[in-house]
Amino acid sequence: MKFLNGCTQKIRSDGLMLNHREKRRYLAIIYEENYVYRHFQLHEKIVERFKELFGVIHYELAMLKLYDSGFGSILFVGCKLKYLDYFLVSLSLTQPSLTVVSLSGTIKKLRKNVSSLDIRNIKSDVN
Amino acid sequence: MSKILDLDIIGIDSNYSSKIKPADNIILRMDKKYPMAAYYPYLIVSDNIKTLHGKTDLFLIDPFQRKDAIKSKAKRGLGVEISIAFAKKLNATMVGKWLKEVKSIYEFCKSNDCQFILSSGARSINELVSARSFESILKLIGISPKNYWNEVSEWLYTKNKVRWVNAKP
Repeated sequence: MKFLNGCTQKIRSDGLMLNHREKRRYLAIIYEENYVYRHFQLHEKIVERFKELFGVIHYELAMLKLYDSGFGSILFVGCKLKYLDYFLVSLSLTQPSLTVVSLSGTIKKLRKNVSSLDIRNIKSDVN
Repeated sequence: MSKILDLDIIGIDSNYSSKIKPADNIILRMDKKYPMAAYYPYLIVSDNIKTLHGKTDLFLIDPFQRKDAIKSKAKRGLGVEISIAFAKKLNATMVGKWLKEVKSIYEFCKSNDCQFILSSGARSINELVSARSFESILKLIGISPKNYWNEVSEWLYTKNKVRWVNAKP
């Protein structure tokens, strides 16, 4: 059973049990490699913009988290599905410019999607 | 790149046209009709109210500028474009005001039969905005993304109906 807030409920023989894990989305974000910022500094910039635009409370609830992408000039950031729109708006309105190239429900799938993209070509275009 | 961003068509400044080949997913933006217009789908774009004339397809507007002048000059079917790149440099308070102005321009377009267009305003590939991000901004302003994409597609089709037929691949 699915709820609007992303929670799921498992139906067991002895009754209902609430599964508290909220759905998340993972984003691959491409940035220009010759920026002076390192990936964690870019993450801080995104967080700063999110807080400015939507407030500290929404930021805490969104649970933004930076992950190791393993690809150069690509950030992996996760957030709660409920706050995905806020996060995408913050990203679009952040300086330096960042572009979302892939979005997925799991890190594993996201990595697979990014691998299938022609990152070398994108990078050469970006730089 | 357009495929990655989930965009069907990307508008590119005609100054960069020497680096690209004519393709289905590219529309050239030019300030007047250049000879290359015979090979590409194109839009005549203006960012100055003084140079806005009957053949202008798209007018790039600063959301904070007064709308009185546009009201008198805007003709039916004119595209009114707002660039996201402009808002990136603004502080949070101004971003809030920017969003309010974008909404008012959308309403202006609705009442004057103009086409509201939200663009990335990108000057390089890494400044491009994905379709999903556009939709998030539209939702925040209170515009239905589905309606928006339908209207833009229809507007582009109408604008380029004759030109696309004549465009040579």
